[in-house]
Amino acid sequence: MAARSGPEIGESLREYGRGLAGGLIFSLPLLYTMEVWWAGFIAHPARLLLYVVVIFLLLLGYNRYAGMRHDATWLEVAIDSVEELGLGIVTSALTLYAIGRIGRHTTLDEAMGTILVEGGLVAIGFSVGTAQLGAGGQEDEGMGGRQQRVRFAGQLVITFCGAVLFAANVAPTEEILVIAVETAPERLLLLAAASLALSALILYFSDFARADRFAQAESKRQALAGTVITYAIALVASAGILWFFGRFDGQSAAVMIAETVVLGFPASLGGSAGRLLLQS
Amino acid sequence: MNKPHKNALEWSVFFVSAIIVLATIGSLAWSAISDVDSPPDLSIVAGKALPGQQGTHRVPLLVRNLGNTTAQSVQVEVILRRGAEEVERGELTLSFVPRHSEREGWVTFRNDPRCCEIQARAVSYESP
Repeated sequence: MAARSGPEIGESLREYGRGLAGGLIFSLPLLYTMEVWWAGFIAHPARLLLYVVVIFLLLLGYNRYAGMRHDATWLEVAIDSVEELGLGIVTSALTLYAIGRIGRHTTLDEAMGTILVEGGLVAIGFSVGTAQLGAGGQEDEGMGGRQQRVRFAGQLVITFCGAVLFAANVAPTEEILVIAVETAPERLLLLAAASLALSALILYFSDFARADRFAQAESKRQALAGTVITYAIALVASAGILWFFGRFDGQSAAVMIAETVVLGFPASLGGSAGRLLLQS
Repeated sequence: MNKPHKNALEWSVFFVSAIIVLATIGSLAWSAISDVDSPPDLSIVAGKALPGQQGTHRVPLLVRNLGNTTAQSVQVEVILRRGAEEVERGELTLSFVPRHSEREGWVTFRNDPRCCEIQARAVSYESP
């Protein structure tokens, strides 16, 4: 065994520990949210299947572009993602058991859905936690990171990941629907404008940590384009999450759009600020 | 082709994770293909009555959803019937009965349910 070189057992345990802490920090609000438990047993199996696929793709995105190991190969990234998904599911099952959501009275069908929906969210927390809570010693940002500036496609992926990470916290709640149906269209327009303005502010005008490295704009036109792209990605992410949590079921197009704009606000903050933080 | 650097612990975590993930995907795919879309279908079984406080009688109810869709806001009505006569009526509300799952609830009666036949049915429910 010793011949196969890898990190020491102690080092991998420490890494799993960081992942666990991160997984719980990022997903505990959702582990304690009723609508997320319900989504697990309400969603059709085909929808859950799609959910797992999307979570896995997001994990690939986080691990490839947000982790500090920019030298990792796609195979390593895929292996890490499978690990995080498995650990996420186990952590979610244990937590749900501890808070009395699953147990003797629940059937396998019911428990599996809830464990899976929560597990996917915990897995993302694992991924972010492993990367973000890491000891600074492994790789100093100034050296390794700089020449590895993530290119445009990577920035899109990481914007999407940041948007999902932030928006998922509020997306399953009833409040999104309440705001969407009770708010007048012109105020929603205000919300959309605020989303755009804040994205621009964070990415290009307020010297946000490392904004110059990841979101450099040579001209005003480029800054405008970057802002619009960020908001577009935030809207797509919002619509996807809302659809999964059944918030689009049976709604009129006008309500769907309103919901998307409402969730687009946190999503655009996640897409702009979140992505800078994820990469720092 | 350089192999990923991992120790025995990390490989075991990976293989266990891979099994969990594949099993989950497999079972989901199977039910996605095999389950026809059927609306909630509730069966209610009344259990054996137990004496309760202040001379009441407690009757356990097991509500099972045999359909492939979750039932929400389930209203259950329980009637104690002696022949054609309705002796007493009880009600139970359940917020959710997930597909292929069951929920337990209780109704209490002033009359001793052993006098009569217990008839229970789900009056109404939503599909979320």
